[in-house]
Amino acid sequence: MLLLCLASLFYLRNIDGLAGARAVLMDGANFIYRVAVTPRDAWASVADYLQSREQLREDNRRLQQENLVLQGKTQQFVAVMAEITRYRALLNSSQLVAREVMVAEVISVSSDPTRHLLILDKGADDGVKIGQPLLGAEGLMGQIVEVGANSARALLISDLTHAVPVQINRNGVRGIAEGAGDLDHLIIRHIAATTDIALGDLLVTSGLGGRFPPGYPVAVVSSITLPAGAAFAQIEAQPLAHLDRGRHVLIAVASEGPAAFSSKAQ
Amino acid sequence: MISSANALWTVAASLLVALVLHAIPLPFDWRWYRPELTLLVLFYWVLALPHRIGVFSAAITGFAVDLLEGDLVGGLAVGAVVATLIILFTYQRIRQFNLIQQGAIMGMLVALALLVESWLHQFLGLPAPGYKFWLAAAVAIPMWPVVRKVLRGLRRYFEVS
Repeated sequence: MLLLCLASLFYLRNIDGLAGARAVLMDGANFIYRVAVTPRDAWASVADYLQSREQLREDNRRLQQENLVLQGKTQQFVAVMAEITRYRALLNSSQLVAREVMVAEVISVSSDPTRHLLILDKGADDGVKIGQPLLGAEGLMGQIVEVGANSARALLISDLTHAVPVQINRNGVRGIAEGAGDLDHLIIRHIAATTDIALGDLLVTSGLGGRFPPGYPVAVVSSITLPAGAAFAQIEAQPLAHLDRGRHVLIAVASEGPAAFSSKAQ
Repeated sequence: MISSANALWTVAASLLVALVLHAIPLPFDWRWYRPELTLLVLFYWVLALPHRIGVFSAAITGFAVDLLEGDLVGGLAVGAVVATLIILFTYQRIRQFNLIQQGAIMGMLVALALLVESWLHQFLGLPAPGYKFWLAAAVAIPMWPVVRKVLRGLRRYFEVS
């Protein structure tokens, strides 16, 4: 029995033929999460139902205003995008891909405290694929790592095993933001001590590696230490997305069209 | 009433319920204090019915928890099997202990299972909990009397044997 467990640990995970079985088992496991959150959801819907008319009217007014402001901003955005497309064409650079987003609901968080995994309610049936980026309202949250038929799991950027290629928005200096197993900070490695980097710099995805499309905000630099004699600075950054709140996240789905990065990278 | 020998579904059902309770959402940093209920329920049944519930059930339970947590499948299964073997060798002695002693033993067994899991994870280069898994084991100790009380009630009521 021990041998069977060890075999599954070391060998079975590499067999591609078992991917289907794994997906089914994962759907089953995610169903358990769904059952476990039923009381919470039921309570939320009761609270929703009991919300006062006054409150709803207030919300409605606020949302309409917000919508107006956002629509105003979008008008500029369209013009700017057109301009950028023209410039990129002039530079013979690849076109930006228009990404569609899909809203998914966060069912739960994995019970394992060492992992930062979200359980989502959309799966392969909805077009979710492994590797698609996960976005919050404020910035990049993570990526899809496991997909079942009607549920998926996403790894947050703060997980110990996660790393995302980033660049400083101000000057394009590139680095890699690694998760530290802590929601509050990422570690930026291999930035030379003499590099131009300052507190509060915005880090966006660089698009290198071909997994994340370029330009999504990831984190802001929150601490820089320069140990005497070390070649690299110790840099920490705070993720922009609220990784542990919010019921809804966006999954960026690549639409048909030119890729954002070279075809070789894909 | 269900005939005694066939009441093993009680075991399966209680393990499933423990699994669901294990999946209850907690705030991010509170997850360290999750008491590994599934393991405690498993240990109770091994202690109560060592001739029926053994390493096979332990492995299945471990697989289920691994799947639930999104870990490498098999890590906790190895830990659960090792802990179950210890109970199988010593169940006659453990049964004689009082509640507090039993709770301490169960805490240690939970710690052992988690330790084996974290060793395997470290060996495979996955994130391991460091020493924080002791928290789960510590929470398991006060949980044991509750688990035992409830499951003993179930066992007597459904005449599981």
